[in-house]
Amino acid sequence: MNKKTSRALVSVLIVGGTLTVLLARSVREDSQFYKHVDEVMNAPDAWYGKKLQLHGFVVDKSISWVPEKLDYRFTVKNGDQTVSASYTGIVPDGFKDGAEVVLTGKLTPAGFVVAPGGVSAKCPSKYEEQKRAGR
Amino acid sequence: MANLGTFLILAAFVTASGAFAACLAGARLRRNSLVQGGIGLFHVITALLLVASSVIVHAFVIGDYRIKYVQHYSNDQQPLFYKLASYWGGLDGSLLFWATLLAVFGSVAVHINRDRYRTLVPYVAATIAVVQMFFLFLLALHRNPFETFLTTAPTAGEGLNPLLQNFYMAIHPPLLYLGFVGMTIPFAFGIAALATGQLDDAWLKAVRRWTMTAWLFLTVGLALGGLWAYEELGWGGYWGWDPVENAGLLPWFTGTAFLHSVMVQERRGMLKIWNVSLVITTFFLTIFGTFMTRSGVVQSMHAFGEDRELAMMFTAFMVMLLVVSFGLVIYRLPLLRSRNELDSIASREAAFLANNWILLFSAFLILFATMFPTLSEAVTGERLTVATPFFNKWMTPIGLALLFLTGVGPLLAWRKSSVENLRTQFLWPVLAALVFAGGTWALGVPLWGSAICFGLCAMVTTTIAQEFIRGASVRQRTTGTDLFTALVGLFARSRRRYAGYIVHLGIVLIFFGFAGNGLERDEQIGMVPGQQLSLPPYTVKFKALTVTRDARKQMITAELDVLKDGKLLTSMYPARWYFDGRENEPTTEVALRRGFSGDLYLVLAAFDVEKQMATIEARINPLINWIWFGVGIMVIGTGIALLPERALSFAAARVPENAVTTTLMLLLIVSIGSARLRAQHIVTPESSIIGAPRSDLEREIHKEIICMCGTCGRKLVGECTCATAAAMRNEIAALTANGKTRAEIIDYFVKKYGSQEVLGAPIDKGFNRLAWLFPYAVGAAGMILAAAMAFRWSRRRDEDRAEAGAEGGVEGGPTPAAKDLEARLDDELRDLD
Repeated sequence: MNKKTSRALVSVLIVGGTLTVLLARSVREDSQFYKHVDEVMNAPDAWYGKKLQLHGFVVDKSISWVPEKLDYRFTVKNGDQTVSASYTGIVPDGFKDGAEVVLTGKLTPAGFVVAPGGVSAKCPSKYEEQKRAGR
Repeated sequence: MANLGTFLILAAFVTASGAFAACLAGARLRRNSLVQGGIGLFHVITALLLVASSVIVHAFVIGDYRIKYVQHYSNDQQPLFYKLASYWGGLDGSLLFWATLLAVFGSVAVHINRDRYRTLVPYVAATIAVVQMFFLFLLALHRNPFETFLTTAPTAGEGLNPLLQNFYMAIHPPLLYLGFVGMTIPFAFGIAALATGQLDDAWLKAVRRWTMTAWLFLTVGLALGGLWAYEELGWGGYWGWDPVENAGLLPWFTGTAFLHSVMVQERRGMLKIWNVSLVITTFFLTIFGTFMTRSGVVQSMHAFGEDRELAMMFTAFMVMLLVVSFGLVIYRLPLLRSRNELDSIASREAAFLANNWILLFSAFLILFATMFPTLSEAVTGERLTVATPFFNKWMTPIGLALLFLTGVGPLLAWRKSSVENLRTQFLWPVLAALVFAGGTWALGVPLWGSAICFGLCAMVTTTIAQEFIRGASVRQRTTGTDLFTALVGLFARSRRRYAGYIVHLGIVLIFFGFAGNGLERDEQIGMVPGQQLSLPPYTVKFKALTVTRDARKQMITAELDVLKDGKLLTSMYPARWYFDGRENEPTTEVALRRGFSGDLYLVLAAFDVEKQMATIEARINPLINWIWFGVGIMVIGTGIALLPERALSFAAARVPENAVTTTLMLLLIVSIGSARLRAQHIVTPESSIIGAPRSDLEREIHKEIICMCGTCGRKLVGECTCATAAAMRNEIAALTANGKTRAEIIDYFVKKYGSQEVLGAPIDKGFNRLAWLFPYAVGAAGMILAAAMAFRWSRRRDEDRAEAGAEGGVEGGPTPAAKDLEARLDDELRDLD
């Protein structure tokens, strides 16, 4: 191996290594668990305080809200388990009774606290570009 | 008709396999008649698919609801435009649309290159035919858009989702598809080059233009997607790192990398393996993106839904693609050896290489993050996701590094830059960067992200300006023309290089817009009429909540007054629309006030009609319009780069001195004339929504009188969304309320505007038409005149040259010193071409 190749190899290794380490760290920091309601609520204790994306369906007629403050309380269900959720902010157009939603936030003993902009509604029909509540 | 469609798809599949076999066999056996036959079949696929497309378009137009696809995505109430857009509104139709576009592109590419690249073309046709077969196979066996209802068919359609009934949304997918499909052509040429072993630069020349065109479509498609999200979805942003969005971005990154690295190969004979791999990767990523969004592998808010069978088919195709393509690359490795080596880190090659690595890294980072949930589930059994913060954290430094290289690359010389060279080149750009970054930081802009971004923007702009000024002044000295002519002459001499700078300028503006991202503010509050919301420098006053309806929807509208420094600025009307038949899927209608410094963005977040209460979200998005503006500049730059060789040759003409200046002035006057009209439209708030007429008379008059703002293209007052139309509608409402008759009202408007111009159908039709046509006619005539002059000048130059040649090439003009300078300039200008 001549000098040039070895030099190139070393720099590639250093840059690549640094990037990999950084990537691994930020993935650990920023990743969230993606779970269905029943997966979490079968053993809720294990999930308190963890960053979660919770997938489920809004229970019919469970949405109550204070319009002035945009405070929402509703129940999400999947399988035979339910969890109550609270959220403040703007909900996407698709958020309604029976909607399939993905909530980003944390589970507390009092229920699921949705992070700002953490409500995403999935559209039931195909190829429907669905809006997001936040980024 | 449905049967005909199905038959056409099957026939196209058979034809495609025939074309593939004939082209491949003909090329290998060197039998020209076989190749000709194969190419003939190749064009037949295009014909068949065009007919299939027209069959489905016809079904949409007449509302043939026996066909499931038509029933699902269209209905009678939809305007014709959206009936047509429904063609690509769903999965099955979009696949057919894809196949048709590919066939058309393929036919054009094969036809254009049939003589110039005689040996490559059969392989190109064969490769495209294989891709075509894959899509037709999907259509025929699994996703037939012509499927009909077996039992009784419904008589009405469900209609396209209201969210998709938006102008941007109707044209954004086809543009993205054009970009995706266009990337197949470079891939096919790459494979042909590998298969034939003709790996010199010939195939690159053939694909450069195609890649650039596809890249242009991709760019515009992505931008329109962002614009749609921004204007239609109401969450205030334009990019959410959703898998579907990312799928479009991945090939854009590798395509951009290819457009840069091509230059290194042309100029220095390096990076051959790299280039061919980039072409393959770009194509692979278009297929992978389609797979990702259509098979349900990745959870997405707007994926097509889960489809295991489709996923299997795509996987098989992708595996084959990778094995064959990279197998060929490995087989041809001996021919792909580089002619040169990297001489120095401070060289343009090195900058290009760095830019390529970063672009490729971004593509794979985004791919990794998008696939992360699926990957983590496969590895650990635990589904983990990464969201927007992750993307933003990584893409901010990556974007800034790319911007930095955009500024540095053009300043470095090929092979090796001397220290002296570095000093003269970098002095001004670096100074500008420091001043701007420091200045904005001192003004309280956060350093990380925004201030650095501003600094880098300044640096790249200075670089570009410096390149133009230096190039133009050298040219001015040697040719003795004025500055304008010299500038255009630069484009004529080295079109791709200077067009590239214009694209870079567009990138700078886009980043300028990105930098505003960190400075946004928002406020949300529930209000009853009379209350107000304060978001400095604006105050938003809530006046009323109204419920109106038109033929297709019910509209809940908040009427808001926007005040600045206590003075009324404008009225804005954010709304929610409930389309008939889709009442539980309301759409948010954002009210926007655009400006160079930023947008005021109002959303009706929630309401209560009985209490007259509305929750308004107000948001200021600084600098956001520069993004769209920058994309426009990029389009212009790419357009110049795509111009045919001779298009700008008139500027190189020396005979009529200052000719270009005159031409440019003429063009400028023409374009300013129309730009002024356009500008009016930008100033008027586009937000005002159409209040429904309150009586039949009003409705009738809305259809008879046109908007008089002069920019809407004479839209009916009942359809136009500009402020003038809103004012006119109010007038009409007031007049009808006063008990005026139709004739009186029309009379009133004719008197007010002094002519019958205000009427949708004027009485004296012929003459009035002519009068309206006049400005357009003048504009068109000016353009034609300019073009004709340009053409003549360029011809004369050729004649001059011929004469000069006859006289033995003696030219009286330039002194030896100037000649020397010109030789140097030419050498420099040849750099990239």
